[in-house]
Amino acid sequence: MRAPTGISELDAMLHGGLMRGDVTLVVGSAGTGKTTLALQYLVNGATKFNENGLYITFEQMPAQIYRDAASFGWDIRKLEAEGKLRVVCTSPPVLVQFVESRNPIDAIIAEINAKRIVIDSISHLESFIPAPELRGELYRLVNHLKMKELTSIFTAESHEVFGNHLVVTGVGLSFLVDCIILLRIVEIQSSLKKALTILKIRGSDHDKQLREFEITPQGIKIAAAFAQYEGVLTGTPRKSFTEETVSAWTKAFVGKP
Amino acid sequence: MKETNLHELMGKLMGTEIKAELLRLFHMNPGILDTVEGIARRVGRMPKDVETEISTLVELGVLRKERFGSLDIVSLNTSKDREIMKKVAALIEGGVKG
Repeated sequence: MRAPTGISELDAMLHGGLMRGDVTLVVGSAGTGKTTLALQYLVNGATKFNENGLYITFEQMPAQIYRDAASFGWDIRKLEAEGKLRVVCTSPPVLVQFVESRNPIDAIIAEINAKRIVIDSISHLESFIPAPELRGELYRLVNHLKMKELTSIFTAESHEVFGNHLVVTGVGLSFLVDCIILLRIVEIQSSLKKALTILKIRGSDHDKQLREFEITPQGIKIAAAFAQYEGVLTGTPRKSFTEETVSAWTKAFVGKP
Repeated sequence: MKETNLHELMGKLMGTEIKAELLRLFHMNPGILDTVEGIARRVGRMPKDVETEISTLVELGVLRKERFGSLDIVSLNTSKDREIMKKVAALIEGGVKG
C-alpha cells in the first residue's frame, strides 16, 4: 500500500510513505533540496526496499548527479551496474514521446523492473510544450505512470523564494498529482532555514505541521516543527505569543501573573 | 570495423573537436537519450554542426540512432563502445610493445 521514502521522519509524516502508484509533486525554489529528496527516495528504494528506480533529468548531467550523490555516500554508478537504478538524461520532447506505444523509457522501466520513478524537473516541460497542450500532456503522462504502477516523484521549481503568494505550478498540476510536498527557505532570527510541509495526500491523512529540515552528509534529516513561530510559509515568520510568553510578559511588566 | 591501425581508428573516433566532445559527453554521461538538438545544446553547439559528427559515430557503432514516434533519439551503444575501447587499448598496448 505504501512506498517508504526511507527518510524516517518524512515517512512518519506521510503515515508510512508515499501511496503506492501515486504521483507526488515536490515543489521548492532553487537550493531547497528537491533533487536530494528525490534521489534519496530512489537510492533508499534500491538499497533498502528492493524497489528499483529510474531518474529522469533534463538539465543536470548524469556526471554531476553521480558526483553530488557521492557526497552523500550514494554510489549511483554501482547501483546502475547492479541494474537497480538508472539515470536517464533527456529533453522534454522525448519524455512526451514516452507515452507512445514504443519508446526507449518504457524499455528501460521493463529492463530494470522499475517500481519508482523521478522526473526532475517537470517545470522544464513548460518551456517545450505549448501552454494549451501542457495540461493535457501532463495528464497523459501521469496516467501512463499510473498504468505502469510506478510510484512517482515530480520535482517542480517554485520561482518565489520568500513571500505570501505561493503558486505551486502555473498549469494546474497540483490538481493532477496525488500528493504535494512543499520545501521552502525561511528566515528565522537572521538565519536561513529550510522548512518542509505536506500540502495534500489524496485519500490519506498526513502530518500537517511545518517541519524544519537540514541537508546533512547522509541526506535529508527532518527535525521538529516550527512550534514557536507563525507565518513560516511567508518566509519571514514571527514568534507566536504562547500562554507561557504572555504570562512571563505580564509578570515582568504588570507585576502579577 | 576493419581498421587495425591506431592512427586511423583514433582519427575516425576523434578526428574533429566536436567528435571528441561528443565522445567525452557520452562517456561521462552514458544515460543520455536525446535528440540531435538536445545533444547539441549539451555540448554548447548548433544542431547543424553536430549532426554529421553524430552520423559518423553512429556509422562506427559507438552511438545508436533510433526512430521513436516522430523523433530520432541518439544514445550510447554501450556494448559496441566497450568493444571499440578494448580495440583502442589493444592497439595502444601493441604500439607500446612494438
